Amino acid sequence: MKCEEIAGLLPDYLQEGLSAEQKKTVERHLESCVECSEVAGLWKKLALIPDEQPSAAGRQRFEAMLQAYQTGRGDEGLTRRAPDKGASIWSVFQWLRSPVGAVAWSIALVALGAYLGLQLGNAKTNSQELAAMHTELTKMRQIVALSMLQQQSASQRLEGVTWTRREGQLDPQVLSALMHTLRHDQSVDVRLAALDALSRHAGQPQVKKTVVDALQEQQSPLVQVALIDQLVEWSDAEAAPRIEKLRQSANLNPTVRQRADWAISKLN
Amino acid sequence: MLQVRDGDGETLGVLFERYHAPIYNFYTKLTGDRALSEDLVQEVFLRILRHRQTFRPGTPFRAWIYQIARNARIDHFRKSRPQVPFEPEMAPTVAPGDPAQKQQESELLHRALMELPEEKRELLVLCRFQELPYEEVARLVGCGVSTVKVRIHRALQELRQVFHQLQAAPANSAQRNARQNIPPRRLGHEV
Repeated sequence: MKCEEIAGLLPDYLQEGLSAEQKKTVERHLESCVECSEVAGLWKKLALIPDEQPSAAGRQRFEAMLQAYQTGRGDEGLTRRAPDKGASIWSVFQWLRSPVGAVAWSIALVALGAYLGLQLGNAKTNSQELAAMHTELTKMRQIVALSMLQQQSASQRLEGVTWTRREGQLDPQVLSALMHTLRHDQSVDVRLAALDALSRHAGQPQVKKTVVDALQEQQSPLVQVALIDQLVEWSDAEAAPRIEKLRQSANLNPTVRQRADWAISKLN
Repeated sequence: MLQVRDGDGETLGVLFERYHAPIYNFYTKLTGDRALSEDLVQEVFLRILRHRQTFRPGTPFRAWIYQIARNARIDHFRKSRPQVPFEPEMAPTVAPGDPAQKQQESELLHRALMELPEEKRELLVLCRFQELPYEEVARLVGCGVSTVKVRIHRALQELRQVFHQLQAAPANSAQRNARQNIPPRRLGHEV
């Protein structure tokens, strides 16, 4: 067999993925071909480069980060596990998001569109009707998002944030609710999700200001790091003094301080 | 991971135990920089905490963590310093008792690996050292399984060439130095 044909089998031979027959074929070729034999030999020789053990300092840093994270979460875990007051409303939303619910939802929307179309009569063109339906749908989504952002349960609020991501442009009321969520939601997860959602709306001046302001308010190292990363991503040079101020805070988590140092060097 | 996603931070400790050494070795073999590898491992676990809500049940965790590890490294080099040139003392020490020749061969191999283009090096590290099956690597890097196999073969061929060049180079360098009466170059970081 030629080297080109063996080349197709060699990778599987190396990861022991060949049949006994194919394996024999490759081994016969390797006995007679220096180049292929060296290539296969190198794969085995790579085992000479041993694995290394990471230092104990890495473990300590991780434990410090985890501890800071859990401190930041506080009793949020308990809140999340508490019985949901809005469970019945939530189950309706859950059903709407299930495949069956989605079909029903789509049919209802089409029916609504057809009904609206008939009501509006022939005065409007098809494109106008479609535009009206689209606006209606967007409004409905934003109402759902807004309502979910105000729920008791953190997982429902998280879903609310996810709903806001489906829209290219947000209603000012929804945008304002998202900014409020970033600053005041009691769940770290929801605040992080809100930041991710807001990062798509950097064009709105109020969004950047909220992110910078949140820097001074947040206590969770995880959120602090995420905020710093976001400001660096936006290359927001005006944020550098605020990050510097955060860096000088007493009792700041070492990981956050390190991140702040890095951010300041990037922004200046 | 589902427990971590649902807010159980303690479980992340278990994942750290299981994955921090493999991820650290993924980075040391790719970058040859221990300090950077330690930093990137921290970054990976920080990202797991931050993005745990994006983890979907049924997704293999190993694939997810390697995706995060790849992204963290790409972001790091996009944002900051270039890679440190490889120096012999960056090579891990072969277990005591192994003959000096093995240590030398291991160093040369590591150096050869570091001289491969990044894409090829990464594939070899994932398939050989991290022992990921080709199917998993294909999903990770976003190409077909057959493409991964072809690239692995090419990477090994290139590694062979570089390894031979490096085997020849120390001898040539010693002869040249002897002719010019130059003392041997001190090994060490020059960064």
